[in-house]
Amino acid sequence: MPVHDQGYRHYTGERTLHGRGWWVIARAGLADRLHERRFLGLLLFAWSLFVVRAVQLYIGQTLARGILFAPSEQTFQLFLEQQRLFVFFITIYAGAGLIASDRQSHALQIYLSKPITRNDYIAGKLLTLAIFLVAVTWVPAMLLLVLQVLFSGSLEFVADHPRLVPAITLASALQVALAVVTMVALSSLSASRRFAAMLYAAIAIFAAAVARVLQASTGHAEWVLLSPENTLLAVNDAIFGAGSDAAVPLPVAIGALAAVFAACIVILERRVRAVDVVA
Amino acid sequence: MIIAAEHLSKWYGHVSGLNDVTVSVPEGITGLLGPNGAGKSTFMKIVTGQLRPSTGSVRVFGEPIWGNPSQYRRLGFCPEQDAFYEHMTGMQWVEALAMLHGMSHDAAETAARHALDAVDLLDVGDRKIGAYSKGMRQRVKLAQAIVHEPQLLILDEPLSGMDPIMRRRTIGLIKDWARAGRSVVVSSHVLHEIEAMTANILLMHNGRVVAEGNVHQIRGLIDAHPHRVSIRAEQPRALAQRLLAGDDVSSVRFDGDAVIVETPRPDSFYARLTGIAASGEAGAVDEVTSPDDNLQAVFSYLVKP
Amino acid sequence: MTAPLFGPARRVFELTLGEMLWARRTAFMALAAGAPILIAILARLSVVNGTAVLTVNGSRIGTQAMFETAVSVLYLRFIVPALGVFYGTSLIADEVEDKTITYLFTRPIARGAIVLGKYLAYLLCVVAVVLPSLALVFLIMVPFQNMGPLFGTLLGDLGILALGLAAYGAVFLCAGVSFKRPLVGGLVFVFGWEPLALVLPGYLRYLTIAHYLQAGATGVASAIAIAAAAVVLSMRTIESREYVLEQ
Repeated sequence: MPVHDQGYRHYTGERTLHGRGWWVIARAGLADRLHERRFLGLLLFAWSLFVVRAVQLYIGQTLARGILFAPSEQTFQLFLEQQRLFVFFITIYAGAGLIASDRQSHALQIYLSKPITRNDYIAGKLLTLAIFLVAVTWVPAMLLLVLQVLFSGSLEFVADHPRLVPAITLASALQVALAVVTMVALSSLSASRRFAAMLYAAIAIFAAAVARVLQASTGHAEWVLLSPENTLLAVNDAIFGAGSDAAVPLPVAIGALAAVFAACIVILERRVRAVDVVA
Repeated sequence: MIIAAEHLSKWYGHVSGLNDVTVSVPEGITGLLGPNGAGKSTFMKIVTGQLRPSTGSVRVFGEPIWGNPSQYRRLGFCPEQDAFYEHMTGMQWVEALAMLHGMSHDAAETAARHALDAVDLLDVGDRKIGAYSKGMRQRVKLAQAIVHEPQLLILDEPLSGMDPIMRRRTIGLIKDWARAGRSVVVSSHVLHEIEAMTANILLMHNGRVVAEGNVHQIRGLIDAHPHRVSIRAEQPRALAQRLLAGDDVSSVRFDGDAVIVETPRPDSFYARLTGIAASGEAGAVDEVTSPDDNLQAVFSYLVKP
Repeated sequence: MTAPLFGPARRVFELTLGEMLWARRTAFMALAAGAPILIAILARLSVVNGTAVLTVNGSRIGTQAMFETAVSVLYLRFIVPALGVFYGTSLIADEVEDKTITYLFTRPIARGAIVLGKYLAYLLCVVAVVLPSLALVFLIMVPFQNMGPLFGTLLGDLGILALGLAAYGAVFLCAGVSFKRPLVGGLVFVFGWEPLALVLPGYLRYLTIAHYLQAGATGVASAIAIAAAAVVLSMRTIESREYVLEQ
């Protein structure tokens, strides 16, 4: 018949997940960024501290013979903390537009009309940024450890510091996860990647400054919880056994970070949808 | 001539957008036609002063357009991109852009109302643009192009996203604007829409102007391609036999009760056909059409790879 | 630029002001300026309660000194540069990214007037948000009996903040007009380069804006000159630059 029934028809077909959609999205995101020379330059520059540290380790093992540049667990903790600057810039550069650009070009609807789930989409976006950040945190830190072993010619250092590998892994994972989840969540809030970048910079820089000022002026160390970055530093102290004298108990710091993660997940759940209702 | 381009070229790095274009656009409606990537939008952006020519020159109303903002009083541009200040209502947006033309607040409001009314958006003028459908967004773009009553309208794919009824209305609007003395340059790759608006076309391909002028004249000049004529007749085979007797027919085939003829000399052929039809020696001739004498055929012949 | 400037700039100013006042990012601006007020309240309460521990050279400092610290550390080193980077870079760059710049460029107004109008709207918005914030912090933190003698200092601080907003905004407006991704570079300049250059010996400090905001009368004159030059450069750059919008 020429005129079809206009009534609602329920989908009766089968739904299967075809392949790994999250990897397809991540791969596309990686390829996008890796084509930009400026970004490759930034990634390369992020390894500059690694080169400095590697030279220090070499000097410490050969010329100074343990007098200067003797490595310890805190060497690696400090390295990861110093990489925060590069993590910040790479997160903004590569992460601000992850979902914002899709929203701006109305590509979100197209993605979510394919046989991938919302979780696939979000996971793919998270993985894109996570890979870049792991490449400038965990990878160089582990490589420094490998270099230390190579330069010293023995596994003594690793044996003497058995928790170093899990500590580096856990600290990097936390650092990367915090940056990735926060940035992707903020990216989903707007169709402007610049606005997402501004929000992230405000949270990272401004919150840290406000927290420090409040700590100093009121004498209450709990204000550190205002800044996810500073809270992470307190957690890192515990991970590396640095014996921090921070007044914030570790469970509270972990709880604060968990709250940030939870808030970001709620934002992603609410914002990553195929349809936007405009009043 | 409203627009005069001389040896106009535009490069984007190593990619050529326009390639040695020399063309004059007369008053009235001109259809800018070409496949995607032909250079239509580049040409329009240069004519509206957004891009600077890499070489050559372009004059609008006899004056250079790049860096000459006073000329924009006489121009109205409807761009292809779907970009707005989404938080504004249609009325606010058109009014704000009208005020940028130097109108007072009250004059801008009146002009915005007229413009929105012309594109049938007055009743939704107080709704945010973010809530508009695709067709409404296209119409509000048209409204901002006409609000200051320009002499020349440059419309880049203005019918995109419109439903058939609104397309028809907009085509009518464009023809009304031309009748009121405005010139319009309108681009599209939907051929029958251009045909409905004007016979005066500028055909572009690969950054070059392939043909310009009246579509029928252009067709007549394409000697390399025989004209096809479709004749529906009572006795198609008898008619075909008569037609094949002349030297102005290169091929004949049948399509139902129609005879499809290819002729390299249409004038001579039509004269003979008239004689055959009048004499009745091949039965009654019901219909004669030329599927060729239209924009599609011109487009296909000239733009074939 | 022979076309009229100030009339068209005023129209662009009005359009941009309307947008900025109701945009989400301006709420963020207000939040950034409100944080010091919150800090001031908490600091004042902690002083009243006797729990404040901020010390300088071993001596506990009062709220007046805290106010001066807030001006130099929080406002001049964070809020003012951050607002300059965030909003200055986005004035033109946002229009280009959103592809709405076409509508401005096809109006009979000089491109330089567009830049000038947007810059003035930015300046009015940030000054209207930040300066009252500082005034409120002053009222909260400075003891009442000291407010009279310190009023001149407050006026000076307000002037410096306004100048800082003008200078940073102008410089990053120039970056936004000239470069495709000015925000990251701006953040590197403000939070990477400036803190470093200010502590290094030699002439490197002259390559920062923060130096001129802290350098007295000559610094003020230099900062005004930097702001004016950056705005003029932005106006000239946009007149000659092509913006190829991504399809």
